Amino acid sequence: MTNRSVDLIGADDAQASSAPAVEFREITKHFGAVTACEEVNMTLWRGQIHGVLGENGAGKSTLMKILIGLVMPDRGKILVHGEEQQISDPLDAAALGIGMVHQHFSLIDALTVWENVTLGDSGSLNPEAIRNRIGDIGDQYGLVIDPYALVGELTAGLRQRVEIIKCLRRDPQILIFDEPTAVLTPEESEQLFNSLRNVVTSERRAVALVSHKLDEMLSAADEISIMRQGRIVDHCLASETDAPTLARGIVGREVLLRSEQAALGVARTEQRSLGRDDRRSASALTETSVLRIERAVVRSPDGFRLLDELDLEVKPGEIVGVAGVEGNGQRPLGDLLSSLLALESGRVEVDGKTISSGRPGAMAVAGVGVIPEDRHDSGVVLDMTVAENLILTNPDRFAKRSVIDLKMVGAFAQQMIEEFDIQCDGPFAPMWSLSGGNQQRVVLARELAQKPKVLVAAQPTRGLDVAAIEYMSSRLRLAAEENVAILLISSELEEILDLSDRIVVLQKGQVAGEIARGEADLEHLGLLLGGSAL
Amino acid sequence: MNSFLEATYEILSSSSTYMNAALFAGLLAFAATGEWVAERAGTLNISVEAMLLTGAFTSAVGFHLTDSVVVALFAGAIGGVLVASVQAEMSHRLAADQFVVGLTLNILAFGLTGFLDREIDPTTKLARRWNIPVLNEIPLVGKALFNQPWPFYILYALIPLSWWLVYRTRWGLELRAAGENPQSADVSGIDVNKRRRQTVYYAGFTSGLGGTFLVFVQVGRFDDAIAGGRGFIAIAAVIFGGWTLRGTILGCVVFAAALSSRLSIQGLGYEVNSELLQALPYIVTIAGMAIFAHRVRAPAALARPFVRGLK
Ligand SMILES: Nc1ncnc2c1ncn2[C@@H]1O[C@H](COP(=O)(O)OP(=O)(O)OP(=O)(O)O)[C@@H](O)[C@H]1O
Ligand SMILES: [Mg+2]
Repeated sequence: MTNRSVDLIGADDAQASSAPAVEFREITKHFGAVTACEEVNMTLWRGQIHGVLGENGAGKSTLMKILIGLVMPDRGKILVHGEEQQISDPLDAAALGIGMVHQHFSLIDALTVWENVTLGDSGSLNPEAIRNRIGDIGDQYGLVIDPYALVGELTAGLRQRVEIIKCLRRDPQILIFDEPTAVLTPEESEQLFNSLRNVVTSERRAVALVSHKLDEMLSAADEISIMRQGRIVDHCLASETDAPTLARGIVGREVLLRSEQAALGVARTEQRSLGRDDRRSASALTETSVLRIERAVVRSPDGFRLLDELDLEVKPGEIVGVAGVEGNGQRPLGDLLSSLLALESGRVEVDGKTISSGRPGAMAVAGVGVIPEDRHDSGVVLDMTVAENLILTNPDRFAKRSVIDLKMVGAFAQQMIEEFDIQCDGPFAPMWSLSGGNQQRVVLARELAQKPKVLVAAQPTRGLDVAAIEYMSSRLRLAAEENVAILLISSELEEILDLSDRIVVLQKGQVAGEIARGEADLEHLGLLLGGSAL
Repeated sequence: MNSFLEATYEILSSSSTYMNAALFAGLLAFAATGEWVAERAGTLNISVEAMLLTGAFTSAVGFHLTDSVVVALFAGAIGGVLVASVQAEMSHRLAADQFVVGLTLNILAFGLTGFLDREIDPTTKLARRWNIPVLNEIPLVGKALFNQPWPFYILYALIPLSWWLVYRTRWGLELRAAGENPQSADVSGIDVNKRRRQTVYYAGFTSGLGGTFLVFVQVGRFDDAIAGGRGFIAIAAVIFGGWTLRGTILGCVVFAAALSSRLSIQGLGYEVNSELLQALPYIVTIAGMAIFAHRVRAPAALARPFVRGLK
């Protein structure tokens, strides 16, 4: 991946030898008043990875969905291998050798891995052949998975793995990846890009890659296009640009803030930790913990210990980062604090009071706000409006004698939309019409508006664009300054390093180590995560 | 108390008890098997009642015209499929509310068959009894399961066939996907509404056979009260069974036992308050649903219409 010159030679003869794999010509798509794509021209070459960057709502997913046949463009043409094609559903796309790894909604929880993988194929059902194919893909690309596992029981990272296998099983010549690494650990993404690079160069496939991670984009892609408000505003070779330039292109202005650079992966870690004032952490030390978890044990239905005597404390105004390889108890910890799981033994105290775990809403009433890991499962209701989602956890505030006051709700929603810069068609736009990043902002707005004592932020910047990450980070800092105790659960080490006063590492449902922020750097943390002793 | 135990013993040891129960269970199983398939794909198909009734009527007419039970069987299936075509096309092509369509069909079928019955007045009979040697000598249940009018035996193929279709074929995988998460299924390249229509047709087919069963195995003649809410009990059996086929069939047997107890108890000359007996099947149904309904997981998209791009 570092060998740029080899890639460029590949690029040259791809352009010389044949027609491009895909050509978008003046693709335009409007959703009502919203412009998702406007006169987009873009070319995918065989043997190349074409990166697509852009803010939340810039139209990246829409453009990809047009190619896979899920969205019909209002105007414009698509040429595949030089010939104009009408792609009106995913089957057409599959017939043309186009496959896509989706940002959301393509797996079915109630089915097993192999059933999900074969969904959409044709011909008679041959489980043995499918399971073998899954094994082969696993060996070839380093994406190992148990074909009999129920998808609903997998972690986000593993689900993504299934999604990718599902795409690769048909050997598509043109692959679309919409934020494939948003839920992967750094090692997993590196592995994915390594294998991707292999297929691209050796088998001359074309790849379109949507991502918000600039460093990842720079190392993985050959060419990069930047979208803003539905238009392609910049196009360059990855070898001839750098992260600050890309960041500027994405947000359309100079990116100056150090924390903003940190969010982009532009600034170095050391610089970042110096940038914080120590006033808050000093005052925090003197106060007693507002969130205290003692010897918490949580068991899965099949008897496995998800949390195994976990001890954790967070003081007011403190940001505690929870790091760890996915599947080591992060999700149960978040679920415990969302009242979704009950303790087998141990206890959870908020503000000195023991909270009965597992009773719906008990944690919320006690003042625990949660930004959940999977916003589609537990964060938002897609069928309801933005306003309804904003008041979802506390509708009583807007009710007179149990009747919801729509005017009040509308005004509140409007205020939130402005304050959190949520891109949508007004307070009563349906939630499903928002882009992924904007849905996440709705969750953030809702939880912060509650003025919680404790805020659990699980993967809060997953799927967010550069500016939104910066915004999210500053909101979390601001909340900490207002004395909210924050538990930040994240698989992004950079994010944890940037925000946390204290970092704990989870392993097998236990706190395996703790680092004060002065001692923390990427390498040290990386070693801890890898399981090496303190 | 003693006499109560004696009576219970006599009822449980009389083969006529099992005969009655098997007839009811057979009827419910025809309807519930198809209903189960439709529900797995996401349709809560309440027009199953209309499918039974229409199937019963068309089969009676089929026999009336040809004097053949085989023809009656086909005619019954066609009747059920006819109702299914309205349900399927209205709710999964035109996106009309499936309950409104189902309710309308139930009322329409009742009125129409009642009217045509008086116009045509089809003559019918019970189908010929087939006695399966050896097996019918199993104590208590042998006669109930293996000495029945021949359409009864179709169940022995229909039930495993339905299981195989749903769990072992691509069609089945796709319909389960459509019932669980239509958006994801759509993204994967499955025509969700087509699968749903097909399963409603399947429910129409099996319920149409159920209608034939009503006329030619259970009752012997058609009248417009012949379905009498059995379609709804079949729906309850699917819920009771937690949307598994095994559970659904178990539900059919349990509800059939309750439905037939009135006949069995009175047949043996016992006196029980007859209103109470009439209410019994429904009490069992409600109790069963109260106990089991929260323990099981329905198909996640059950009764939720699918429109492209909408989520
Ligand atoms: N089905 C739809 N109906 C109405 N509006 C839509 C629909 N799909 C997308 N939009 C709107 O189109 C715009 C572009 O959305 P899109 O999902 O393509 O953004 P994106 O670039 O992928 O953003 P993100 O990085 O947040 O995923 C957004 O403003 C979104 O609200
Ligand atoms: Mg997107």
